[in-house]
Amino acid sequence: MAGDGGVVVSLQEREQEVLADLIVDLRQLLMADSHDTLRRLNPPAHPGDEEAEAAYRAMVGDELLRGRLDLLDVVDEGIGGAVLDEAGVAAWLQGLNMIRLVLGERLELDGADLAAHELPDGPATVLYEWTGELLEFLVRAASSR
Amino acid sequence: MTAPLIVEDRETESVDDLSRPWKVIVWDDPINLMSYVAFVFRKLFGFSEEKAHRLMMQVHTEGRAVVSSGPKEKAEMDVFRLHEHGLWATMEHDS
Repeated sequence: MAGDGGVVVSLQEREQEVLADLIVDLRQLLMADSHDTLRRLNPPAHPGDEEAEAAYRAMVGDELLRGRLDLLDVVDEGIGGAVLDEAGVAAWLQGLNMIRLVLGERLELDGADLAAHELPDGPATVLYEWTGELLEFLVRAASSR
Repeated sequence: MTAPLIVEDRETESVDDLSRPWKVIVWDDPINLMSYVAFVFRKLFGFSEEKAHRLMMQVHTEGRAVVSSGPKEKAEMDVFRLHEHGLWATMEHDS
C-alpha cells in the first residue's frame, strides 16, 4: 500500500513479460471466440434450457466481450508499474481472475484435477499459482481500504 | 467440483410461473479463489464482510448458494454481473 491510499503494482521484469504474453494470448482467444478454453468464462445462465440460454447469450455476449477486452487493456497499461485506486484494484482483480480462469481451464484440459489440488509440474502451473498469489494480494489490498 | 446439473420440469409456463421470483445461484468451482468470491459478493451486492464470507463458505461447503432473487430482469442482470466477474452463476425459478 502506498501512503496516499493507492495500491502499488510493481512487477519484476520477467513477471511483466509473462503477464503481457498472457494478455496477448487471451485477447486472441476472446476475439476468436468459441474456443474450448473459454468455456469456463462463459458458464450457462440457464442450464437445461437451450432457448433461454441462447436468448441470454444474444443479449449479453457482446457486452461481456467488450468488458473483458477493456479489462485486459487496464491490466496491460499498468504492467510496467501503476498506483491503483479502488476502481483500479477492482479492475485488476477482475482481469487477473479472468486470465487465471483460462489458465485453470487449460490445466484441466491437460488432465489436472484442480478440485483435488493435483497440479502437474510445468510452466502452466507456475503461472496459475503466480496469478493466484497476485489475486490474493489484491483482494487483501481491496479489503483493507 | 462438477458442472451444475439442473433437472427442469418442461411444462408450459403459466401466468403463475411468470410472477414467481427467480433466484440467482453461485456454484462452487475449483478455480476461483475463496477470497475473490467473497470480494465479488461484497462489491456487487453490497454485502457486509460477514455475510459475503458466510455465502462464500456456503458455496464452498454445500456446492451452491442463492445470492439474490427477484424478477427475471433483475436476476438476469445479477447473473450477467457475476459472469463479468468470472463466477459460475445460474438462475432458476423459485419453487
